[in-house]
Amino acid sequence: MLVDAEKLKLQIESKLHNSSDLKSRSVQFFGSNCVIMYIADITDNVLFNQTLIFPLMNFPLETDESKNKDKITLLKQKVLLNQEVIEYLTVDEAISGVLTGKTIILLDKANKILGCDLELITTRPVMEPPTSVVIKGPREGFNESIKNNLALIRKRVRTPDLVVQLMEIGELTKTQVGVVYFDSVADKSIVKEITKRLKAIKIDGVLDAHYLISYLQKKPKSLFKQIGDAEKPDILVGKMLEGRIGILVDGSPIVLTVPFVLIEDLQNSDDYYSQPIRVMLVRILRLLGVIMAVVLPGVYVALEIYHYKILPTEFLVTIMNTTQGIPFSPFVEILFLVVLFEILYEANLRMPQYFGMAMSIVGALILGETTVNAGLVSPPAVMIVALSGITFYIIPSQAAQFSVLRLCAVVIGACLGLYGMLIFCVFILSYLSSFDSYKTAYLAPTAPYIDNDQQDLFKRVNIKEMKKRPKSIANNKHNLTRRGREDDDEN
Amino acid sequence: MKINYRQLSILVFMSFIALKFLALPGLMYVDSANMSWLVTLVLMIVDGIYVFLILDLMKKCGQKNIFEFLCYCLGPVLARAFMAVLVVKYALVVANISKGLEFFVVENFYNDLKWLVFVLPLILLTNFMVYKGIRNIARVNEIIVWPVLFGCIYIALKSISGVDLFNFLPFFKDGVAPLFSSGFNHLSWFGSSGFMFMLFGKVDFSNGKKYTMLKYIFLAIALTMLMHVVFYGLFDVTSPTHSFCLSDISQFSSGHSSIDELSWLVVSLWVTAQAVQLALFSFCMMQAIKYTFNIKNDVFPILFVLIYIFTWSFIGENTVRLEVVFLSAFSSIITILVQYILPIIIYIGYAVNNVKRKKGAKCKS
Repeated sequence: MLVDAEKLKLQIESKLHNSSDLKSRSVQFFGSNCVIMYIADITDNVLFNQTLIFPLMNFPLETDESKNKDKITLLKQKVLLNQEVIEYLTVDEAISGVLTGKTIILLDKANKILGCDLELITTRPVMEPPTSVVIKGPREGFNESIKNNLALIRKRVRTPDLVVQLMEIGELTKTQVGVVYFDSVADKSIVKEITKRLKAIKIDGVLDAHYLISYLQKKPKSLFKQIGDAEKPDILVGKMLEGRIGILVDGSPIVLTVPFVLIEDLQNSDDYYSQPIRVMLVRILRLLGVIMAVVLPGVYVALEIYHYKILPTEFLVTIMNTTQGIPFSPFVEILFLVVLFEILYEANLRMPQYFGMAMSIVGALILGETTVNAGLVSPPAVMIVALSGITFYIIPSQAAQFSVLRLCAVVIGACLGLYGMLIFCVFILSYLSSFDSYKTAYLAPTAPYIDNDQQDLFKRVNIKEMKKRPKSIANNKHNLTRRGREDDDEN
Repeated sequence: MKINYRQLSILVFMSFIALKFLALPGLMYVDSANMSWLVTLVLMIVDGIYVFLILDLMKKCGQKNIFEFLCYCLGPVLARAFMAVLVVKYALVVANISKGLEFFVVENFYNDLKWLVFVLPLILLTNFMVYKGIRNIARVNEIIVWPVLFGCIYIALKSISGVDLFNFLPFFKDGVAPLFSSGFNHLSWFGSSGFMFMLFGKVDFSNGKKYTMLKYIFLAIALTMLMHVVFYGLFDVTSPTHSFCLSDISQFSSGHSSIDELSWLVVSLWVTAQAVQLALFSFCMMQAIKYTFNIKNDVFPILFVLIYIFTWSFIGENTVRLEVVFLSAFSSIITILVQYILPIIIYIGYAVNNVKRKKGAKCKS
């Protein structure tokens, strides 16, 4: 390097296309020109003044010690008050530093450029995520800052076993992505595969964690979710303790987790803070809810069109009384309501919050009530679609998939009846059974049945009795005991 | 793509009960009257014993598939001949299941269902499952086994109050001879564990518990006995007129023409179980074709199996109950050969071969 600070400054400004938010300030340090460069909007002004400008200005002009040391070492050791001072050997490295919020210090004829981390973190406060609300248990949720999210994880995990691997993805955005796992618990081959896949990503920018999903999925075209997610640090750490690996993305409040099993979404962080017997009941209800959400409208259509004879007589009479005079076939009736529900849902989701309530009233009361009163649809059909619609959101993260499956079920129910529905169900089961990713079976621990993992399937045993990590998740086979040592089992 | 010991046990359980709850009890009553249950019991116990025999052979064969193992024990010519017989055996079972399923679905759920509408979805499903392989079939079985089991128990217990145990008396009214003829005539409904031949080298025994298989076989026999006893206890001399044990019992319990509130769910579950069984035996048929004709890829054998199911459905449409006549006349002999004689021949061949090799090794040394 060994050039004037001013020349270096011009060089950097030129490389950054004289960007307006790139600021610089020149000061004198032992008779040499010293240029400080930073991007104003991402630099913390208070820290800038307190840890950089103030010590520089107040440093004695000449001391005995200063005579014997070079200026870069002196700056680093005696002047700068920052936690971390980085040394850049090339201009390009320094530019990368500036772009990630570092403030760089250029000195005349120096062979290095110094950098200090004065990044201004602008982010939402730590809040409870709307899709992971709990009655009991921690309410902290991740936000859009990877630093903040890592801090939330570190706060819960005070062990050298926690590994954080940071990398940059995105040719233009240079987004920070972190892979976190417990060294003694996670399966190393999976960690290796994930980092390999992440490093191979060639993309302009990563704006959210979901950008990475298609790169991590084994079957990217599949309808079904293959990568888990967590919006709260307690959930993420819980998953990591079972052997999963977390992937954090700067700018996203959602942390991806790998491997994923379907049953994960039936479990809730609340479950681990509640009574086991209640948890069992709730989990069975969730499963029933999922089945109802997907197949109920299809079964209703099939029963009405083809199989009314298998309905109990009293029930059949009730249905016939309410469907009398409806101008549409059961299929069109249900399809109309399903589509209407989807439209209402989409509108409600994108609408400003204060319109939401009005929208619900228009949707549920006015539309629902009037279509029934006008004799366009029957009350059982409205009830079926409403029930199915509500049960969708027992597992919000799977609602999109369920919505597509429900539509398929309605069409199959109308075309082939109950037989078609049964074939459809076996097909889905079969498809999911063949869905292995990252050494983990999608339907584990049910198919394949894993005895050890039944402790946290429907019934959840007491935390005290959960001694082994789940075998359905590929993890370090030599460390399956949750407390780390086999002899602790007796406690 | 290996399956574990528990999955194998469940496959055995499902195949044991698969053909037993449809037309079999009604058909058997014609030959062996109120002692039909005993014929079923004895044949199922024999099947159970043979399961352990085949299991032992499976363990002996190590990583070899059935064809390689047969070549090792009997030589390539005999091996290929036996594979051809196995193709026929599986083809008969596939035909029996697919036609049984079609009658069951049409009779219980539809006023009128075109055969094409029935067979096309079934072919698509079978194609998918066979293509995905035995592990996939085993896993689906693992999921549906408990609902099927509890569903059947529910139906049986719901009707048990109407069972008249005096229907079973007197014992051996017509002597023992009708039992033998009944057993022989209906052998094709038994010996379903023949599918195990195609799983040689595909089972991981490492984490299997000792009594798992025994437990599932016992469960299968107990459940079959429960259903058959309830069936004969309810219908007695009218049994031959009832084609579908499972759904007919449930109709009886509801007391009116329609199936009661929950029974149709169980009947539906049974349809799924049958569909999975069809996939299992189609997989076996596909494998057997591959070995017989030395075909390397799966495409043509799968295509053949699917065309076979399709054709059978078409023929059955025009010839009522053809398969029953066909099966009873021919398939008993095939079943005896495959299910009861083949394992013993393999045993002998294996032992002889081992002795020869030991002698050969001694001579060399």
